[in-house]
Amino acid sequence: MTVLSHSAQRLSRAGRAPLRWLTGWGRIIFFGASVLVLAMTPSSYGRATREALMRHIYVDTAPILPWFTTLAALLTLVITRIVVVTALSYGLSQYALEMVIRVLVLELIPLTAAMFVALRCTIPNGAALAEMRRLGRFDELARRGVDPVVTLVLPRAMAGIFATLTLAALSCVVALVLAYLAVYGWTSAGLAGYTRVFGHVFDPSVALIFALKTLFFSFAVSIIPMASGLYDVEGDGSRESAALQGLVRMFAVLLLLEAASLTGNYY
Amino acid sequence: MAMQDEPTPVQNSEPAATARPVRHLEIKAALLLAFTGLLIAASVLYLLYARGVFQPTQTLVLMAEDSEGVVVGMDMTFSGFPIGRVRRVELAETGNVRIVIDVPKKDAHWLRTSSIFTLVRGLVGGTNIRAYSGVLTDPPLPDGAVRTALRGDATAELPRVLASAKEVLENVSRMTAQDAGLRATLDNLQEVTAKLKGPRGALGVMFGNDSDAHKLVAALDRTNVLLARVDSLAAKADTQVFGPDGVMKEARATVVQLNGLLAETRESLKKVDAVLVEAQGISANVRGATTDLGTLRGDVEANLQKIEGMINELNRKWPFARDTQVKLP
Repeated sequence: MTVLSHSAQRLSRAGRAPLRWLTGWGRIIFFGASVLVLAMTPSSYGRATREALMRHIYVDTAPILPWFTTLAALLTLVITRIVVVTALSYGLSQYALEMVIRVLVLELIPLTAAMFVALRCTIPNGAALAEMRRLGRFDELARRGVDPVVTLVLPRAMAGIFATLTLAALSCVVALVLAYLAVYGWTSAGLAGYTRVFGHVFDPSVALIFALKTLFFSFAVSIIPMASGLYDVEGDGSRESAALQGLVRMFAVLLLLEAASLTGNYY
Repeated sequence: MAMQDEPTPVQNSEPAATARPVRHLEIKAALLLAFTGLLIAASVLYLLYARGVFQPTQTLVLMAEDSEGVVVGMDMTFSGFPIGRVRRVELAETGNVRIVIDVPKKDAHWLRTSSIFTLVRGLVGGTNIRAYSGVLTDPPLPDGAVRTALRGDATAELPRVLASAKEVLENVSRMTAQDAGLRATLDNLQEVTAKLKGPRGALGVMFGNDSDAHKLVAALDRTNVLLARVDSLAAKADTQVFGPDGVMKEARATVVQLNGLLAETRESLKKVDAVLVEAQGISANVRGATTDLGTLRGDVEANLQKIEGMINELNRKWPFARDTQVKLP
């Protein structure tokens, strides 16, 4: 009898798993939509929110900007060198530059920037939010008539989006400059040809996919960890569980976005 | 309550948890925002510039039979330099392919009315559209010009080459087959070489039978005999012509005599020459005499006229003069 009831419990828990999974995604999507609506509502930017926003924008972005740019520069140099030397050995040097731009600027750097921001800022921010919620800070703010989503969550999410966009933009520019220098050296003679190749790679559809991909990356890395921190989407409600869930879901979304962008670009 | 006031280690892990306040936070945040905005705006502008949005262009339409490998955004090159970009690929009403190309105005002068456009598809890499301008002094290509693109396809040649190779192999196979003509020819050649090596040699090969070969050998023998006789005949003729009493000696004496005769003739001719000189002198004298004769003739004629007049007078006066007057009864 005991064995049967135990099995029934396990079965019912297994049956609830997809439901919980769906509920979790539903909450994340709802939270993302709420944050975006709040971000586009001027009344959200009260004094406290503005101050928090400025603080998070600066503190989340400025310290990691030089480090990440250096990392992207190194990555660019190594990959450009590999691609150019390989292409030269096969006699296909005319395609090397295009390949460097496609591999680095279109694919690697936005993904790396998003993951860097996630690991450095948004996952710790999400964990901190979960901790604050666990300690009753949210309830306290709500009792005082202050919406904790507007004052605590929105600045962090906006700062994450901004950091991702800034890092991706700066690293792409640095990568473009370094790729040019690695291929042509210190001369402006190849500028016209390089610009032409750049324009050839970034046709309207590719440029649109690139912009949308970077934007959705920034949304994914900013919203998912915080949604996981705010709601007990799954698990026992502990902070480790929230951080882990956020990480897994965020990587899944990044993977899906990357796959979608690759499909859009090359099929 | 104390736990709520002091940040926990997790709260400390977020970047904004630093207790130290940032100086001039507003300015720094604004600068960062401006920097990002400028970076994105500059990137967009550069992208638009690279796409040729700020460049005035003219349109060129290439008509091709096949659009395979032609994609929007690909370059058209002139001497290896890209001077145009495909904007649109569409089907024309005739079923051909219309490739609409944007050529920047600053590069359009390379295209002339006599320019040729090719659509080349290599084994590796994509299709290339190339322009060739042979005469750069021709009028420039007008905006919206429609030209036919010549197709040069390396891979399209492959099936033809394979078909030709297959045909050659089939021919070789037919030539080397068991009942092929080449094999029969080789057999015949082997037979011929065997005959060549035989006792009759090449003659046997040429005539095909032994009797004809025999005839030829007999003819050759008779020819040899004939040649021997001709040889002796020639020896006899030599004796008669060049011998001690031969014709040749008499001929030489005759030639000596002829030489003497010629010398005499030369002398005679000299004499005739002198006679002619004299005759020339005589003729000169005769010419002078002829002049005197003219005068003499005049005198004689005058005298004759006088004599005639005198005779007429005598006739008139003479008694036997005839009465010339007719008297009427």
